[in-house]
Amino acid sequence: MRRNNAARRTILLAAALALAAAGCSSSSSSSSSGATGSTPAAGSSSSAGAATVDTSSCGSKPGVKATGTPIPLGAIATNQPGTSFTDIPNMAKAYFDCVNANGGVNGHPIKLYIATEQTNPAQIAADAKQLVQTDKVVGIVGNTSIIECSINSSYWQKLGFYVIDSGIAPECYSTPNSAAVNMGPRYSSDGAVQYALAQHVSKVVFDQANVPGTGYIAAGPNALAKAANVPIVDLTENVPITDANSVAIKEVNDAGPNGAVILNFTPPQALVILQAAQKLGLEDRVKLWGCSTPCNTDFLAQSLGPKWNGKLFVNAELAPPDDTNTTSMNLYKAILKQYGSSVQGGIGSFSQMGFTEAEIAVHALQSITGPYTVQSVNAAFKAVKDFDTGQLCQLWTYGDYPLHIPNNSDWTVTPKDGKMTTAQGCTLISKVDPQIAQYRNAAGTAANAPTGS
Amino acid sequence: MPPWVDFEPFIVSGLALGGVYALSGVGLVVLYRATGVLYLAFGAVGALGALIAWSLITRAGAPGWAGWLACVAVAGAVTLAYGLLFGPALARRDPLIKAVATIGLTLILYGVMDLLWTTSGGQARSLTLPTDNGGFTVAQIQVTWTQVIALAAGVVLTVGTGAFLRLTKLGTAMRAMANDRDITATLGVPVRKVEAAAWLGCGILGGIAGLLLADLVALDATTLTFLVISSLAAVLIARLRSITVTFVAAIVIGLLHDLLTPIASLTSYRDMTPFVIAAIGLLVLSRHQVMTQSREEA
Repeated sequence: MRRNNAARRTILLAAALALAAAGCSSSSSSSSSGATGSTPAAGSSSSAGAATVDTSSCGSKPGVKATGTPIPLGAIATNQPGTSFTDIPNMAKAYFDCVNANGGVNGHPIKLYIATEQTNPAQIAADAKQLVQTDKVVGIVGNTSIIECSINSSYWQKLGFYVIDSGIAPECYSTPNSAAVNMGPRYSSDGAVQYALAQHVSKVVFDQANVPGTGYIAAGPNALAKAANVPIVDLTENVPITDANSVAIKEVNDAGPNGAVILNFTPPQALVILQAAQKLGLEDRVKLWGCSTPCNTDFLAQSLGPKWNGKLFVNAELAPPDDTNTTSMNLYKAILKQYGSSVQGGIGSFSQMGFTEAEIAVHALQSITGPYTVQSVNAAFKAVKDFDTGQLCQLWTYGDYPLHIPNNSDWTVTPKDGKMTTAQGCTLISKVDPQIAQYRNAAGTAANAPTGS
Repeated sequence: MPPWVDFEPFIVSGLALGGVYALSGVGLVVLYRATGVLYLAFGAVGALGALIAWSLITRAGAPGWAGWLACVAVAGAVTLAYGLLFGPALARRDPLIKAVATIGLTLILYGVMDLLWTTSGGQARSLTLPTDNGGFTVAQIQVTWTQVIALAAGVVLTVGTGAFLRLTKLGTAMRAMANDRDITATLGVPVRKVEAAAWLGCGILGGIAGLLLADLVALDATTLTFLVISSLAAVLIARLRSITVTFVAAIVIGLLHDLLTPIASLTSYRDMTPFVIAAIGLLVLSRHQVMTQSREEA
């Protein structure tokens, strides 16, 4: 009898776990209340091996270490099991380390405090307060978080911070105090759908992770498809995906032989779907497969293999590293090699974003002649206009606008023998997306200034 | 309601998904019957083994067979080590406490995997087996040999472990020990050795399941670690007793899950299938038990 009771309790535990899982099944990732970590991360650059390309051009005085008063900057990044964006501020730190080793900003080193969070609103708000009140940062550069923009937007506005970030949440693109170097999921999905429509597909299936904000993201692709008179089917999947076979079959059946399947998932989840499609022999049952920017990694290209060469088309918000041989790209790779030991993903969109945000920040800081205060630093950030990052299709402008989508032109890449290669050069995201139209109206010519490169 | 032809491919994918649930579910019941422990780290040890196999094959250039062996060996070793370290201390504790203790191991392994095989920077990994390259077509869907092996492994596991527990001396000792460790010991059974064999066997099963699931589902620590939760539905229906019922329940759950996919109004809720079926199953079983008890009392 005692044993039966014990077994019954074990069954109850199993049932409780199962119910908990059922309740959480629509959540993309777990959140926990880990301690807020604000890690000073400056000055102590570690070499990841000898760089073959000279990195000294990152600073104004090659080989001269900056010894002035540090300029404290801050960043908040999501870092939780399954979702980590720390590569972005870590790459920004690598760039700052390079600058610090080569003269700094007018002799001042940059000290970047990186706070991490686990999608916990209270923790994210506390991160911001700690950066401002304890670490005394004068600017925010490198923020990349699932919900940080939504949580802290009003706080940054109140204090007069003009954030340079990588955006995910709608507020990263729709508020006056946030300007991202990337497009984020909505406009990147726009780019992928736009490419598919240009290939004259008869139907679009847009599938994305079932996380907060799916309606906001899907609004862009839906507007584009509607304007082209092409039917679109919106799907969402609970992640992590455990039934990739049925997901792939459903997508292909819905799209039809002349249709396109567009995915908006993290690389591991997109890979699961694409590999399932391949194993089931479905890759050729639609006209093309598309993906938003997260799929733009060589990891994905290597894992998929040659069957997807010219079959999968991925939106690329930043210059394709394998196909670009510019001063900026070579400097990015050299800094990553020499200073980027903490950048775990290596060459790819995330580290490119960190590099781009850091170079914009340094460019702005160099324009300041007086003391580096919250007022002077953020005024300099806001004043950045037509800056050629070397990583984007367009010149980058912050400006005094009610919303900011400064990166609204993209490449399209496709896997080729384990690498992502350019399938289409810079193309403006259509202003059929009402948010893009609103930004272009506000920013005027700054919204679509092409780079000289 | 879509036409029947639209459901056909989902029967194939549903059987494959059922096979995935069966692999984990049967492994859980086998260890429970052998040791009295609901081993919730079953998925985590398999995931750890699979990630080590990936590192060996992809990063160190080891041959595939060496990676697969390493996967099974690591899962077996970790499980055995846990059993040897914590088994005796937890032996006389309530099965509920034993199960909760394995959540601790799950979280430690999960943390280690997240640290060593980070997904930062868009890193995506995959582990493919040579059996993915061959197969046959059913309902316009290609069925790989890996899927066939997974389903067959579930059947073999069900029949094999059932026979092992009933027909062999070691299996009988395991069952006796799971029922009452002290009485079994007084009968002269070397309980520590039998217990170690059970843990090792379960770890090896976890490794084999991890290898197959990494190929069939995803090589991802989160997915593989918590896949065991979905399999719990089949385990619950079998009330932690019958390996055969667990297997059948897992297949039914997989089939129903995928057959809901093409139905537009229900597709968003299909991930609830294992838990809804488990809840219904438990209610029906409880009602049956109450009625049986009432009849006996009358």
